[in-house]
Amino acid sequence: MNDVSTDSYVTADGRTIGPTVMEMRNITLRFGGVKAITDISFDIREGEIRAIIGPNGAGKSSMLNVISGFYVPQEGEVWYKGKKRPQMKPYEVARQGIARTFQNIALFEGMSVLDNVMTGRIRQMKTGLFAQAIWKGKAEAEEMANREAVERIIDFLEIQHIRKTPVSRLPYGLKKRVELARALAAEPSILLLDEPMAGMNVEEKEDMSRFILDANDEFGTTIALIEHDMGVVMDLSDRVVVMDYGKKIGDGTPDEVINNQAVIDAYLGVAHD
Amino acid sequence: MSDNIIFGIEVLMNGLMAGVLYALVALGFVLIYKASGIFNYAQGVMALFSALTLVGIMQGQVPFAHLINAALGTDLHHFGWHVPAVLAILLTMAIMVLLAFCVQKFVFRHLVNQEPIILFMATIGLAYFLEGFGDLMWGSEIKKMSVGLPQGGSFWIEENTQWMGLGNENFFGFFLDKLDLVATVIAIVLVVVLVLFSQYTKQGRAMRAVADDHQAALSVGISLNFIWVMVWSVAGFVALVAGIVWGTKSGVQFSLSLIALKALPVLMLGGFTSIPGAIVGGLIIGVGEKLFEFSIGPMVGGATENWFAYVLALLFLVFRPQGLFGEKIIERV
Amino acid sequence: MNLAQTSQATEGLASVPALLKRNATQYASKAAYREKEYGIWQTWSWAEAEQEIESLALGLLNLGVKEGDFIAIAGRNRPHFYWSMVAAQCVGAIPVPVYQDNAADEMAYVLEHCGARFVIAQDQEQVDKVIDVQESLHQFEHMIYLDPRGMRKYDHHKLHQFSHVQEQGRAARDEFMGDLDERRAKLTYDSTCVMLYTSGTTGKPKGVVLSNRNVIESAKNACEFDGLNAQDEILAYLPMAWVGDFIFSVGQSYWSGFCVNCPESAATMMTDLREIGPTYYFAPPRVFETQLTDVMIRMEDASKLKYRMFHHFMAHAKRVGGDILDGKPVGFMDRLKYSLGDMLVYGPLKDTLGFGRVRVGYTAGEAIGPEIFEFYRSLGINLKQLYGQTEATVFITIQPDGEVRADTVGVPAPGVEIKIEDNGEIFYRSPGTFVEYYKNPESTASTKDPEGWVATGDAGFFEEGSGHLRIIDRAKDVGKLTDGSMFAPKYVENKLKFFPDILEAVLFGNGRDRCVAFINIDLTAVGNWAERNNVAYASYQELAGHPRVLQSIKGHIEAVNKSVAQDPMLSGCQVHRFLILHKELDADDGEMTRTRKVRRAVVADKFSDLIEGLYAGLPEISTTTEVTYEDGRKGSISANLSLLDTEVVAISAQKVAAE
Repeated sequence: MNDVSTDSYVTADGRTIGPTVMEMRNITLRFGGVKAITDISFDIREGEIRAIIGPNGAGKSSMLNVISGFYVPQEGEVWYKGKKRPQMKPYEVARQGIARTFQNIALFEGMSVLDNVMTGRIRQMKTGLFAQAIWKGKAEAEEMANREAVERIIDFLEIQHIRKTPVSRLPYGLKKRVELARALAAEPSILLLDEPMAGMNVEEKEDMSRFILDANDEFGTTIALIEHDMGVVMDLSDRVVVMDYGKKIGDGTPDEVINNQAVIDAYLGVAHD
Repeated sequence: MSDNIIFGIEVLMNGLMAGVLYALVALGFVLIYKASGIFNYAQGVMALFSALTLVGIMQGQVPFAHLINAALGTDLHHFGWHVPAVLAILLTMAIMVLLAFCVQKFVFRHLVNQEPIILFMATIGLAYFLEGFGDLMWGSEIKKMSVGLPQGGSFWIEENTQWMGLGNENFFGFFLDKLDLVATVIAIVLVVVLVLFSQYTKQGRAMRAVADDHQAALSVGISLNFIWVMVWSVAGFVALVAGIVWGTKSGVQFSLSLIALKALPVLMLGGFTSIPGAIVGGLIIGVGEKLFEFSIGPMVGGATENWFAYVLALLFLVFRPQGLFGEKIIERV
Repeated sequence: MNLAQTSQATEGLASVPALLKRNATQYASKAAYREKEYGIWQTWSWAEAEQEIESLALGLLNLGVKEGDFIAIAGRNRPHFYWSMVAAQCVGAIPVPVYQDNAADEMAYVLEHCGARFVIAQDQEQVDKVIDVQESLHQFEHMIYLDPRGMRKYDHHKLHQFSHVQEQGRAARDEFMGDLDERRAKLTYDSTCVMLYTSGTTGKPKGVVLSNRNVIESAKNACEFDGLNAQDEILAYLPMAWVGDFIFSVGQSYWSGFCVNCPESAATMMTDLREIGPTYYFAPPRVFETQLTDVMIRMEDASKLKYRMFHHFMAHAKRVGGDILDGKPVGFMDRLKYSLGDMLVYGPLKDTLGFGRVRVGYTAGEAIGPEIFEFYRSLGINLKQLYGQTEATVFITIQPDGEVRADTVGVPAPGVEIKIEDNGEIFYRSPGTFVEYYKNPESTASTKDPEGWVATGDAGFFEEGSGHLRIIDRAKDVGKLTDGSMFAPKYVENKLKFFPDILEAVLFGNGRDRCVAFINIDLTAVGNWAERNNVAYASYQELAGHPRVLQSIKGHIEAVNKSVAQDPMLSGCQVHRFLILHKELDADDGEMTRTRKVRRAVVADKFSDLIEGLYAGLPEISTTTEVTYEDGRKGSISANLSLLDTEVVAISAQKVAAE
């Protein structure tokens, strides 16, 4: 199951899933003596929606933090676009095209929605400081291009009406959407979503699911997400990794996973208490 | 117009000028505080250090001359050359950037996520270190700063405002120091540049982002280290400007580092996080203390300038702790 | 003589496509449409709009649209949908705008009823709705969508992207241009311009067929009435399926060549309004109410200085603002102070509201609270009222400048004749009178008589002196007292409900010699009063029976009686006796509709003992009423109610018999 795939296939709904873009090889992460992740391997293929599920404390968030460089695993390797990734700072990982959102929302509260989303495009801003001061035209053209890209994201996520609103004044559901907008603005190769539906009501969950599916469909964005709402995961994802107590106990399509006895035992067993 | 009114106007204008200088120093505080949450006690000493360095370079002083002479028994003092002001300023700026880099690398990088009070203590340490280091490097005698800023009363203004006396024979026009005027212009330009920088450049946006949320900044690809070095460099630049102006006005000496203490009440008025607040706060304190001395001073025995600013700040602390422009302080329970 | 049959098209401008052609020449480079997209206002000149419409029309021909086909249009206000309507007209088809927030089955009814072969839809949401019901639609063939998002996976055999249809149209220009010209030339003043479905409150919606004559004559008259011209600007934000939007954004825009601005989204409407600053504006009363409430809330949070200044100058505006707007004489000092107020308060406020440039503003649809109406007028905004219907192509009556009041709907619009039947029902006849209800000759016949008079279903009367029409109620609710004078319950009830203490009022008197009323007090307002006056109470019932409450309500009713007595037509409706009900009227008990409208018959039946008690002149009555609790359980409450007499103003007999 951990073999790197180089072929492509087309899903039932007509999307093309490409070869492996990221691969986790035998990752182990410890905090002091506690093992958060034990020897986990899986891959993410281009254009797919990959879910990581598991009960609370299964190590899902830790896994996401390993991918995004916030945690450095003690053992194992991360392979990205066919190369082994050296140890990196989170901002370096971000510059490689891996954008993320946070479970508890990390937005720039003092800035407007527009500025927040614009900040997502720092990776695309190439003109240097002095060039910006001296060569005004070029900087302006770049700013315009970025602004246009950002406006498309704003339109896509239907947040035009709060464009100029300071983020601190927004309700929770909209903040989540702005955070997604900022991540999408980076035009990421992989988009990591840490519990995108947490704390939302049914309607907001439906909206968010639609945005995630549409982003994947329209921009071809590869998405890896953590979620513990099984229903949402089964509807959204192409393939699912199931974790429990830091170990991988299942990996496959939603149908395969849901019929996997180990998953049923562990996941449903834990869900009871 | 009566003598008193005319004199009052003159006092007012001189107060505005002084206020501009206070604002200049306060600005350095605000920048660092906003971006890193550090209250930089060393800002005043940075101004002194930059002024010392600038004068030292211009006069071709040998750095660490005392140390070298004591160790090697030599009698070196000067290289014997004079560096032009512009070049010296650029060199000083480079040294301030180097200082920013070192401060970040050797001090604050190791204090990430520490309590604000610990960071504050670190800046006190930094202040004393820098003070001693400056002495050691350039000597402790009072130096004269002359980078070509005009000084002395402006006769042009005096002559051209004489008519405003409206026939008052004791009035010979307003007396304003040219240096104060230049300082005002410099301060305005500096503020405009800083605002443009923080609002419209990629680095400025990144700086605001870091000030707001570290994790989020990391996740969009901003290097915190880089931004902090940049912020300390900008603060160093502001310190240099303040150092030049104050140095020209009253000589480069230890008391220069004490202007930091005058900046404190300015910040309490303006709020620690607001650039316009620093400016307005500076002007209020500048004008307030001059006018107070002029109008009330004689009744209470004078020398009110020593304490006026602090009392005003105290009043603000009681009635409006977030300052004029600061963000409202809401404690989360 | 029927006016509708005599009017002729001016200078051969017999159809909307003909007007488009004129505008594209006469106002070629002037803005025709604006839409905010991706944060920037995009503009199309009349010449560009003509190009867009022509490509689409050619594309429609390419798809096989035949003359007389119905093309349904489901989307929010966007230039593309206005183009779609005109393109449909160009090829001899009939545009049918439908409410985009209709549920799938409601949309299915409309599509099936008109037999639409084509649907032009906004996005995936609208497309999905049609796909859901397409099995049951017999004539439906092709769908065109504007926003391709999420549509890539759909089966595109019968589905076409808007821009592709235009592209194909452009490509096939040589092939179809002759056909298009021919079809456009065939359009006359009597060709159908548009079909609009009225959201019937009872029964299924009816398709109102409006001819070019209806639309163009109405638009022309209304433009002349208010002096609208090509320099005007409107914001198109009300549903495209509503007749008003069609007349303002198509009829009047095409007649006078003004620019139609489309908001970025429904949620950004207020911001867009501010940015555009329309000169001609329409909104239903509730929009004005909401905006006023927002202003008041913001003022509560404003600094003391601002708050005082606002209230000081608003008080001044209330005193003289309306008069200044109406051109009545106002003292020099008052004018000076008003100008100062304009600089400090009114001007900035109008700009924030987006009304800084409004020259003509209208509200209609329901009664607007007088204080809300006066607020906007006192700011110097020329807000007026009109009375209209889909079947009249909007305009029936309209208020001329300088004759604007909160309680009338104005004088007959240009070209409109009005007559009032004995029962008070208003009838009109005009060039805007609709052609027919589509596929519904019975309804057509029962609404429009052979002479062209149309029943509005509303009752009203012309005010003596001013000649303004006043609407009092739905005609079916209007009855008669035994002396023959008019009984218009809603008119009196609305007056009573303007008092914050009174939540609901129900008036009885049809077929009786005098009127009596049930009152529901507003628990919040009266409870507030009770707290301030140390009146202890444990329940609604207790508060409702409190003597001081009864006295205060009595005072309100007597005030209303005085005001009602001033209308000779309605003076019979004064309340002679009343009681305060021991329970709040409730939808759960069937006494109200879910939209909180009183079910008169149910209330009359349920509380018949109380009504009889009032008419019998009893001072007190005890009663038991069944109630339904929130969890569905049934119970009953008993109470002793006081029945009170109220003073009425004496009226002389001859005044009653008007008309």
